[in-house]
Amino acid sequence: MLSFLNRRVRRRPGKMLLWCGIAALLLASTTAQAIPAFARQTGAACADCHAGAYGAGANGPNLTPYGMRFKLNGYTDTDGQGFKIPVSGQLTETHTAPARGPSSTDLTEADLYLAGRISDQVGGYAKIEADHVGHDTYNTKLSNVDLRFVAKELKLNGKDFTLGVSVNNNPGFDDPIAVLPAATSLGPPGGQGPTGTLLNLSSANAPADRLIGASVYGLYDSDWYGEIGTYRSLPTSEQDHLGYNIAGDPGRLSDTGYFRFAYMKDLKRQFFSAGLVGLTTRRQLPRTGPTDNLTDLGYDLSYQFLGNRENIVQVSYVNILEKRKYGSTPVSPIVPGLTALSRGALHDETLSVTYTFKQTYGVQLAHLESNGTRDAVRFAPLGNPDTTANLLSIFWAPFGKDDSFTSLANMKIAATWFRFTRFNGATNNIFGVPLGNPTTKPGDLNAFSVSASVAF
Amino acid sequence: MTKLPLGLCAATLVFGWLLASPSARAGDTSAGSDVFKTECSECHSVKQGRNKKGPSLFGIVGRPAGTLPDFSYSDALRQAHWLWTAEKLHSYLSQPAKQANPGTKMKYDGLNDPKQLEDLISYLGTVH
Repeated sequence: MLSFLNRRVRRRPGKMLLWCGIAALLLASTTAQAIPAFARQTGAACADCHAGAYGAGANGPNLTPYGMRFKLNGYTDTDGQGFKIPVSGQLTETHTAPARGPSSTDLTEADLYLAGRISDQVGGYAKIEADHVGHDTYNTKLSNVDLRFVAKELKLNGKDFTLGVSVNNNPGFDDPIAVLPAATSLGPPGGQGPTGTLLNLSSANAPADRLIGASVYGLYDSDWYGEIGTYRSLPTSEQDHLGYNIAGDPGRLSDTGYFRFAYMKDLKRQFFSAGLVGLTTRRQLPRTGPTDNLTDLGYDLSYQFLGNRENIVQVSYVNILEKRKYGSTPVSPIVPGLTALSRGALHDETLSVTYTFKQTYGVQLAHLESNGTRDAVRFAPLGNPDTTANLLSIFWAPFGKDDSFTSLANMKIAATWFRFTRFNGATNNIFGVPLGNPTTKPGDLNAFSVSASVAF
Repeated sequence: MTKLPLGLCAATLVFGWLLASPSARAGDTSAGSDVFKTECSECHSVKQGRNKKGPSLFGIVGRPAGTLPDFSYSDALRQAHWLWTAEKLHSYLSQPAKQANPGTKMKYDGLNDPKQLEDLISYLGTVH
């Protein structure tokens, strides 16, 4: 979604504010939620798998350890009472109030989920998403997909072992701990140029949902998780068929490898994890252009206090470093003799803290920060890709618990404030307009939204 | 040496057995409710007729094992032919489920905190 922002920036700088606001709000509202079809399949409450009974505050599924195991088991767990239709829907109405520009109230998103088990070993999740794009028009696209085959209750060296295969379209979305950007929809949004890391789905031309791949994963002794996989980007024609504007094409990705290792410990009243993640690829962007070598290497830490589920605190920190070796060094169209650097690095960090009371009321605070190597040619207009932003969200999710009157439907009302304190590396005049023209501050990109979501 | 009357010895033994008996050591049902939420509630509900991955625990104390008509039990539990008394629950929950009932579907490592176990069983005794 932020790639959309970047495209608009290049074309019509004057409309920047509007699109930034929209992008920020999309960032805040489009995320994985509790799926009632899963609740019907398992007999469990949404709140068994998610700290907040609707799945999330603003961002992230906020999985409990039980939810992580459900995901690891390929979405196949069941109450054993026959076949359940693996279909759910979600509608979200949002009132958006950007710091600059007109407010709006729209049905911003309508989703169809195909989610559940096919057999004891095969299950999956697929989201078809229709996003409001203005003038009562909706764009329908295939969002995240995660299809799994899993062999459960194996033994390795006398310990429990789970072995699975995931076919998915977003590296990290399938991760059980679900704190990586692909799973939380939470990453620092970038400015102009190819900002942000590959693993950050808020980056310009992010590969998320525009590729397809498979990974093999294993969980050993309930604590040790490992996964390796590979991906290829979809041809632009297929991206178009799936509902994506080809201007956001991640380029031709080849020799792409993904790995994930994590230690996760479920202490019933508490949970903690520490993990490593990596993604490497050779990218041609544009597809007829030179090849860049990109390597993401990150680590993440998470902690949950669950107690008796009355007061839940979840903290996660994700730190991803991307090393880039560019296939070309273009010259500046503005400054004669100035060329781009041949190498660079980008660094994305996300810290999120969520408190949930009775799994009904919650508040989430997130700090998002992106820093990168200065490059006057690649990162116009200021040569600096750095961004700092914060998210604050409060929510109310009255249903989705054991004592709720129905498990067939769920609801959430949330208020979210997204603010920028730095953009394009600047804290003032972030688009570098010449003296005498109206300037833009990072705070002009802020946005406030109130949303109501129902799922069924 | 003074001999204790036989009746007094017997009464002492019975009283001691009662003290040692899990059912006699009444736990804290409120604390047991919290233990239930932490240890059991993801797979079991205490609502009548609501099964999750595991069967409803409504009325579990005193119920013959593997007898809820609308739950698909493992053969191992159906053939166990035991009654879920407080003592049986104490024995079952204090060890890994696979050890207590080989072949069971239940995945549980056991609760090794005696106080929590007492509280939990006391709470389950109130769910009917």
